[in-house]
Amino acid sequence: MDYLSEGFSTAFRILFSGQEETYSAIFTTLKVSTFSIICTLAAGIPLGFLLGYYNFPGKRTCRAVVDTLLALPTVVVGLLVYAFISRSGPLGGLGLLFSLKGVAIGQFILALPIVISLTASATEQMENTIRLTLMTLGASPSQLAASSLWESRYAVLAASMTAYSRIISEVGVSMMLGGNIKWHTRTITTAIALETGKGQFAEGIALGIVLLGFAFTVNAAVSISRRRASS
Amino acid sequence: MTSIYELSNVTQSYAGRTILDIRNMKIVKGSILGITGPNGSGKSTLLRILAFLEKPGTGKVFFKGKAVREIGEDLRREATLLLQESRLLKRSVFDNVAYGLRARGLVDHLRENVAQALSQVGLDPGQFAGRAWFELSGGEAQRVALASRIVLKPKVLLLDEPTASIDIQSARIIAKAILEARENLDTTVIIVSHDLEWAYSASDEIISMHSGRIHSRGPENILQGPWENCGENMVCRRLDDGQTVTVRQPSPSPSTETALLDPEDIILSKAIPEHISARNTITGNVVRMNLENGKGSVLVTVLAGGQTFTSRITSDSLARLNLVPGSPIALLFKATAIRWV
Repeated sequence: MDYLSEGFSTAFRILFSGQEETYSAIFTTLKVSTFSIICTLAAGIPLGFLLGYYNFPGKRTCRAVVDTLLALPTVVVGLLVYAFISRSGPLGGLGLLFSLKGVAIGQFILALPIVISLTASATEQMENTIRLTLMTLGASPSQLAASSLWESRYAVLAASMTAYSRIISEVGVSMMLGGNIKWHTRTITTAIALETGKGQFAEGIALGIVLLGFAFTVNAAVSISRRRASS
Repeated sequence: MTSIYELSNVTQSYAGRTILDIRNMKIVKGSILGITGPNGSGKSTLLRILAFLEKPGTGKVFFKGKAVREIGEDLRREATLLLQESRLLKRSVFDNVAYGLRARGLVDHLRENVAQALSQVGLDPGQFAGRAWFELSGGEAQRVALASRIVLKPKVLLLDEPTASIDIQSARIIAKAILEARENLDTTVIIVSHDLEWAYSASDEIISMHSGRIHSRGPENILQGPWENCGENMVCRRLDDGQTVTVRQPSPSPSTETALLDPEDIILSKAIPEHISARNTITGNVVRMNLENGKGSVLVTVLAGGQTFTSRITSDSLARLNLVPGSPIALLFKATAIRWV
């Protein structure tokens, strides 16, 4: 067990000494995950709202497809995107493989069903009394739609945080599409996998502590949002 | 007197079950109409139709003399409904009260209008305007909900149990604010309330509903089954204390049939007379007395064997009988006075 306690003390030393290699992985993770989540929210919130708010033919089928995609394994996403962006794939000429843009595409596909599904649920579950309240206060159809989304904002925020948790903690997409290239596409999760494989537990633990810190912050935000949504 | 609403053969059904069936109904402009009736009698459905939140399945609704064909936001903005379980929007008190004004584009003097509406419901604007929706008690939330309707200066204010489940002080303030809205804005007010004392005293007219129909223009005693056969073509409803209400057998006669008894048909007596033609003599205790608005009559509610009976008497009769809540009293009414629904 000594190597574990020694690993923790070395991990804190690495974090506080500002080791460049470790902080490169942290900043790469933040950069790519922030870009991915912004793109996911921009597409996912409107789509989720449309799916939850309006009734249209095939709505149930759409919902079933989206809900099924929630369980997409990260390596499957990695594999599919790899097939498209590898040199022999249809998008091979764009040079996306082993770049942060490639990783972002994979993370976008991974998180999009989460945002769509949870936003649709939040909109569907909005109490009918709120809808009636808005109508009786004189909201026009467009005001009703916009206000309904605004009234669901805490639940939508919780959906966003859940999607971000999924993005920041995935390893399959980053490994397959980013290639774990040092100073370039190495993220926290791919670095942990690599360092553990090399037996460098201290580096792995240091990065794991940072990842847990992110996860704790995101979960705290989700928890606060859920409390607001239900009050 | 001008009618603001007129309903003709209006029905509403959900899943093949008729919830509302109104042959004819007029509501006078600027009046206060009280609607009473048991749960499931169609009161809330009627309110939603009058608030233009839903269209009736069949029949016509006339508003200000014109038949309502399409419900647009212009029409919906003429009336506003305070729901039984009114929910505040997830924003500040100020934004809640200002929502309807902003939706209508009425943003001039927004602060003053919101502050005035909050004051009308007894909330200090300086203290409450900045509060979030979850920082209010149930009574305060209901007052904010009312303020967000009053601020719109609606032609019609519809209220579904506005004083249910809130503290007495809030209920009193809400009742006062509603009456002020009628006085100052000439708003037509339609109230569904189980607070009979307030409903009777505030309303210009009361209608009683049962099974989706208007059964009387005034309070009505509702006698639910089970009824049992007691011979001579009569059926009886046994009260909790063993007394019975006897009525002529309906045809056909399902045991769960509901019967109605007009308060005018119940005679109150301090003692049971020896020789009377009335088939029903029930004894009980006075539990409530309500003065009817502008009529000079008093509704006396008597509890007998777990069933309440309401009788309408004049204020002179009340004085003669020397009644107070708790007084023992006999109720006399004929079996033929009871009507089957």
